[in-house]
Amino acid sequence: MTLARLTRRALIATAGAAFAAGTLMSAALAQPLEKATVGALALSSSGPIFIAKAKGYFEKEGLDVDVKMFTSAQQVPVAVASGDVDFGVTGLTAGFYNLASKGAVTIIAAQSRDEPGFPLSAYMATNAAYDAGLKTPADLKGKRIAITTVGSTFHYMIGLLAHKHGFTVKDVTMVPLQDVPKMVAAFKGGQVDAIIAPSTVSRQLASDGAGKILGWVGDETPWQLGALFTAPKTMKDRRPLVEKFVRAYKTALAEYHAAFNGKDASGALVKGPGYDELLGIIADATKQKPEIVAAGLPYVDPQARLLVDDVVNQVKFWQSEGQVDKSLDPKSVMDLSVAGE
Amino acid sequence: MRLLVSDLTHRYDDLTVLDGIDLTLAEGEILAVIGPSGCGKSTLLGIAGGIVAPTSGSIRVEGEVPDGCLNPITFIFQDFALLPWRTVEDNIALVLEHHKLSAAERRERVDSGLRRMGLSEFRNALPKQLSGGMRQRVGIARALAVRPAMLLLDEPLSALDAQTRELLMDDFLELWRREKTTALYVTHNLDEALRLADRVCVLSRRPGRIRELVTIEVPRERRQEPSAQAHLAEVRGRLWHLMKAEAQMADREIARA
Amino acid sequence: MPDSLNPTVTPTASTAGQPVRFRGGGFTVKRHPWAALGAFAVLIGLWEGASRLGLASPLFLPPPSAVAHALAGMVTDGSLWLNLKASLARIAVGWVMGTAGGMLVGFAMGIFSTARAVGVPLVSAFFPIPKIALLPLFILWFGIGEPSKFATIGFGVFFPTVIATYSAIDQVPRNLIRMAQSFGLPWGSILRSIVLPGALPGILAGFRITASIALILVVAAEMIGAEYGIGAFVLMAGNLMQTDTLLAGVLVLSLLGLAIGTVLSQLERRLLNWR
Ligand SMILES: Nc1ncnc2c1ncn2[C@@H]1O[C@H](COP(=O)(O)OP(=O)(O)O)[C@@H](O)[C@H]1O
Ligand SMILES: [Mg+2]
Repeated sequence: MTLARLTRRALIATAGAAFAAGTLMSAALAQPLEKATVGALALSSSGPIFIAKAKGYFEKEGLDVDVKMFTSAQQVPVAVASGDVDFGVTGLTAGFYNLASKGAVTIIAAQSRDEPGFPLSAYMATNAAYDAGLKTPADLKGKRIAITTVGSTFHYMIGLLAHKHGFTVKDVTMVPLQDVPKMVAAFKGGQVDAIIAPSTVSRQLASDGAGKILGWVGDETPWQLGALFTAPKTMKDRRPLVEKFVRAYKTALAEYHAAFNGKDASGALVKGPGYDELLGIIADATKQKPEIVAAGLPYVDPQARLLVDDVVNQVKFWQSEGQVDKSLDPKSVMDLSVAGE
Repeated sequence: MRLLVSDLTHRYDDLTVLDGIDLTLAEGEILAVIGPSGCGKSTLLGIAGGIVAPTSGSIRVEGEVPDGCLNPITFIFQDFALLPWRTVEDNIALVLEHHKLSAAERRERVDSGLRRMGLSEFRNALPKQLSGGMRQRVGIARALAVRPAMLLLDEPLSALDAQTRELLMDDFLELWRREKTTALYVTHNLDEALRLADRVCVLSRRPGRIRELVTIEVPRERRQEPSAQAHLAEVRGRLWHLMKAEAQMADREIARA
Repeated sequence: MPDSLNPTVTPTASTAGQPVRFRGGGFTVKRHPWAALGAFAVLIGLWEGASRLGLASPLFLPPPSAVAHALAGMVTDGSLWLNLKASLARIAVGWVMGTAGGMLVGFAMGIFSTARAVGVPLVSAFFPIPKIALLPLFILWFGIGEPSKFATIGFGVFFPTVIATYSAIDQVPRNLIRMAQSFGLPWGSILRSIVLPGALPGILAGFRITASIALILVVAAEMIGAEYGIGAFVLMAGNLMQTDTLLAGVLVLSLLGLAIGTVLSQLERRLLNWR
């Protein structure tokens, strides 16, 4: 463990030194670095941001980017709306779209997606429910499912699943428990039939024998999980900054995709170029063991392309659920003029 | 009822408070106990009333109790000890509640107590609405309601102003004129002792020992008369002399401690 | 001052000597019943004005009119009553359970020294535990139905009630107990007639605190899969970033607190009129 860390550190240091030479030269010629901040969660889905920062892609664009860590997805768009940070990356929730409808945030590029072959979130059945016939995600109709909150990504995942299998969210009982520990408690206590849980949690529960994994959301219903966003005001007043930021972000995104998202002919994941180095960067930033990070690396589009149709569908879903104002035009929550379609 | 105290000693942990007290109260006698504060007067009363267990020595009572007596040895307190949440009549009724009495008798005991202390019109008042004197009258009425054989009074008038004290002394005289209830009357006021007591017991500073037992030769009813004044003045002089010396030394000991 | 005493100043014929200058006044508490209302009105007016003038973003500080609108919406669609009913039931049951248990234990600790010797360290150890941290455990023990919500509120209320009760018993004047003993009152009567009413002021003061605690904890309790409830409502509004709705829910909570406080004041005035 210690050895592994040491080698990883050494590796990063060498890489850093190699880049330093190039960076120093361009920095000496360029203006002083422009400051910018980005809010992120300490999760592997924020990986491209960590990579862009660690590998100096922001600096190359003349930016001095400070990554501010937040503890819940809800806080990031709020921080963007209040101007505490310039950019944010997190999952898309009803709360996000409500902020967007008030003109406080706008999506400028994609972050991670739920994609087949990338196990991020699992449908899990308790042993009792499994024995009683809950064997596939389609069987979740009519069941009690623990979620974090109304309006969360889990809520939308149930909506997607229901739509795919010809029922609606009204056909399941969603039990909002605010956070994952409480969801796990309700699951272990048999208070609910099922949960949708992040991969680390679901694998732990399955190996503890507390329940069965029925499938993965990425395989069942791929969707646009997260996005890079900023305030419309930043877009308007500081467009060059946004352009530089997105360029650096896309460089990191492409590198991330090449390292982590490649598959062989059989569809199995293969390690791409720079795999260990990038994994080390993400593990450092998230303060997680590399093995754990490796098990839950999400899919990203190498060009930061957003699943526009899915985002429109999300807004419509929340509107039909009464969580987001009906007057919001789904197209208005994004401005992809910098990132490009 | 008679009270017999023999070789009574009391200690609170290491602090000896009473030391070798021998005392007899005759039937119907009123004995005033005076002494510097902290010498153990309240402790003596507590032991006599069975609410403080003495370290050694014996304390006994003997003799008849009056008809209808519910609580032979009964206290009257310096701070009145009234329940502030109960009305005057309910404060008196409190001490009857655990006895098997007919409703009529209960009522009669409360009413006669109120009538004798002139409290009838205040029966529904709360203690906070009464003057200090009236509160102590409630305390006395409560004591009378149990028809006691012996009263233990712990500085009953100390908390009152001078005029009220005079009025209540008259009330006590009237009480003892009607009923010859034995009484141990603790005070630090010589006037009270000289007006009310048959004998006066002077205690030394702590640990309390009996310095002297002084008998007042003039009967209580005649002490206002001019002919009694010479004797009373002489007794007062003797008592004051004894008290002053003890009180001074007690003060010095406190200052040194 | 020295001027007025100056002998060269000759007093006028009509006023012999000098008037005594008034030096008292101030430092007393006067009642200004309308001041608080006025201050509220001014504050709300400023707040509304700031929003109208665009000085405050409606997202960060929704104007009072938006909050009132959200509240009116809750009244007309019936959700206010639905949520209020659910929360009130939880507060009532949880508070009564915590209070009954707390008073029982508090009395035991106030009266029996063994119970106190055992109880004090236990209470000190358990009281400061944030109940929110225990929610996952409560879910395992009591499920996600009403029992776990009662338990959250009940546990929160229990410990302060224990402390308030046994401290209140300590405050009962010992001389009254001695008096009762000297009249031969049995143990049970002393407890009922003296200790209980004597401890009542302290116990009622404790109620004030525990009622607020119950209100705070109803939000925590409704984190556990509550469909209705003011707490659940506030949490959902927060998650959805509907700030006007959020403030409307908070307003309902604080009005509820005000109402409970008023009821307790009345109760105190009734029961403690002897003070
Ligand atoms: N319960 C007690 N425990 C310890 N010391 C006591 C207690 N009660 C009284 N004392 C002490 O015993 C001494 C005598 O008290 P007390 O009988 O009340 O005196 P008095 O009534 O003559 O002033 C005082 O010094 C007092 O501080
Ligand atoms: Mg005393």
